[in-house]
Amino acid sequence: MNKPWLYTDNVCRFYQRKTAVVKAVDSVSLSIECGDFISLIGSSGSGKSTMLNLLAGLDRPTSGDIFFEDKSFSNMDRQQLSSYRANKVGMVFQAFNLVPHLTALMNVELALYFNGTPKSKRQFLSEQMLSQLGIADRSDHRPADLSGGEQQRVAIARALVKSPDILFADEPTGNLDEKNTNDIMALLSELNKQGLTIIMVTHDLTLANNVSNKIMQMHYGQIVDQERKPNDLS
Amino acid sequence: MTFRDLIATATGNLWRMKLRSVLTFSGIVIAIAAFVAMLSFGAGMQRNIAEQFEKLGLLSVIQVYPKNTQETDSSTVAELNNAALEYIEKIPGVELVYPFESLDLGIKLGDSEKTVSAQALPSKAVETKLFSNLVAGELFSADSSREILISEDILEKLGIKSADSILNKPVIISIKLAKIDSGVVSMLRPLSDIIQTRRREMQSDTIRFVEYAQNAIREELGGALNRFIDGFMKNRETKAETLLVCGVFNSRRNGRLRLKDLILPVETAREFSSSGFTGDPTEILAGLQAGNLFVANTDSPIKDYSQATVMMEPNALYEPIRDSIEAAGFRTFSFAEQFKEIRQFFRYFNLALGLIGIIALMTASLGIINTMIMSITERRREIGIWMSLGADMNDIRRLFLVESGLIGLIGAIGGVIFGYLISRVGSLVAKTFMENEGVPPMEIFHIPIWLVLTALLFGVLVSLLAGYYPANRAAKIDPVVSLRNE
Ligand SMILES: Nc1ncnc2c1ncn2[C@@H]1O[C@H](COP(=O)(O)OP(=O)(O)OP(=O)(O)O)[C@@H](O)[C@H]1O
Ligand SMILES: [Mg+2]
Repeated sequence: MNKPWLYTDNVCRFYQRKTAVVKAVDSVSLSIECGDFISLIGSSGSGKSTMLNLLAGLDRPTSGDIFFEDKSFSNMDRQQLSSYRANKVGMVFQAFNLVPHLTALMNVELALYFNGTPKSKRQFLSEQMLSQLGIADRSDHRPADLSGGEQQRVAIARALVKSPDILFADEPTGNLDEKNTNDIMALLSELNKQGLTIIMVTHDLTLANNVSNKIMQMHYGQIVDQERKPNDLS
Repeated sequence: MTFRDLIATATGNLWRMKLRSVLTFSGIVIAIAAFVAMLSFGAGMQRNIAEQFEKLGLLSVIQVYPKNTQETDSSTVAELNNAALEYIEKIPGVELVYPFESLDLGIKLGDSEKTVSAQALPSKAVETKLFSNLVAGELFSADSSREILISEDILEKLGIKSADSILNKPVIISIKLAKIDSGVVSMLRPLSDIIQTRRREMQSDTIRFVEYAQNAIREELGGALNRFIDGFMKNRETKAETLLVCGVFNSRRNGRLRLKDLILPVETAREFSSSGFTGDPTEILAGLQAGNLFVANTDSPIKDYSQATVMMEPNALYEPIRDSIEAAGFRTFSFAEQFKEIRQFFRYFNLALGLIGIIALMTASLGIINTMIMSITERRREIGIWMSLGADMNDIRRLFLVESGLIGLIGAIGGVIFGYLISRVGSLVAKTFMENEGVPPMEIFHIPIWLVLTALLFGVLVSLLAGYYPANRAAKIDPVVSLRNE
């Protein structure tokens, strides 16, 4: 049997509080195939963001393990996980997490510092990415001078500029109007067709139904529903 | 992440926090400036002394003395005589040996006359650096030239203002010499009277004649010796020669090296010393011992000297020559030895100054630690972003080390420049002060290249050390925690 591309094995992430243990992610076993476009839904506090951090190797599970291309995260040191993030992963954070003192362009360029992109190519790639997201004219603005939607698009540009294999996007369209949402979803769908694997957190069920081939629902740290959509597997 | 990216990012961060960076730099600048200024003072003093030694050729001179009887364990004391000097001259590396001979001479120039102590030196010895700074004129050219060198001090005492005015002027040099004849005459002259008296006394008491005669002879011999020395000293003859003043030297500049007020060429000096005994009565005893009391020439191989000067060949090693001379049974003194001690002293002196500088640097490094911890606390989120983008611990650690290293480097460069300025100002103040005090002004600060390099190295090293703890703290930041929504 073929093993999945990226999968978790009873992965848990607990937080020790004063009195109780918060089970942010509780015994999740999920698998992601290369080329999937997964929508992760669930109520607030159900552990979606925590799940993404675990899959991106940014957070370490309390127990259980995660495998990428048959390599166990628990056998990787911080260095190896950094290199996994640098070369394979693009992340869009719920709170954007742009560097406040860098311009939009420099924020995007920063993603290219760690995967060996030569200095000469960085600016070109970044400008190209910003214009694909429709904010080329904002490239020398600092985050504080940008609207929420613009910041979100800079964050998406930063995640995509290094052409990652997987994109973890935490509510990437939460601050966007309908038109911008549609544009970005079109871009993500296009990239997904070209081979980019996407795991996207969203509260918008219609959107999830429209773009993704798999929908996973989390509840109190557990995956409660996995819906596969065969019609999308053309 | 490439090193160039690190430098660019770190520079950008320091530039962004201008005020804070400047304040942190200032700490380093002041510390390094203090370090440089203090050590440049030490280095300046050291160089001055070294130059002084070098200029006077003091480092290539060894003084040789006979040992005191108490100093030797062997029964015989090695004598510093001509045979010994010949032996020393043959030691490899020795260029020249000459004894220290001093004479009391009269010098007469026009109407003024003075008694001065003089010294004979071979022309080779005069050609050394010791006389490289003649006040006026030239050195005598040969050991037998009829010329003399005269010190500025004596010119002053003779009432001569300008050193140049005396050049090539004749002076009358005189010495009072005693002849053995005059001593013998004084001893014998009253003898006939004494014999008459004694004879009369003897007749009156013939019973104890033998005992009495013994006493009488003893008394008379004592008296005769007294009269001999009296006559010898009182009836000295004056021998005078006219010599030309060829040069004037400054005797004070030569520090501890013994130089008399008048320097004569050796051969010329011998005319004075060999034609009789000078004022020193012990010479008579020496003459008696040597068996040449009545020989006119006292330049015999038996003559002992109190001191001799050995000049080394340039580049000759001091230690083996000293050891050979000491092995022959003599005491030595050399400025090379002193100089070693001075250098040792300056090593400790510089160490002490450097230590003060390092303490200042330590204090400044606390500023760096503080600044770094502050900026890391402020940039926790940024560090989390870097990590989420794939920066590993080493990138983060390096970034902060580069930042603190840059603070150190820029601070150290500023410190060297500032330290240089301090030394210039200090030098100006010191020179003005020295001029006012009538001391010839000299440069008391010196910044050698090693000091600049050490200061830069220290600045960077201490800053890196100061950045080490904060950088490690930054590398250990948990990205998930730092990226959580606020
Ligand atoms: N560092 C932490 N310490 C304690 N509890 C935490 C920590 N991080 C997350 N949690 C808890 O874990 C649970 C899951 O959080 P998470 O951010 O993954 O939720 P989410 O599904 O992304 O919610 P939202 O839709 O609001 O973004 C929450 O109850 C949260 O309070
Ligand atoms: Mg979330």
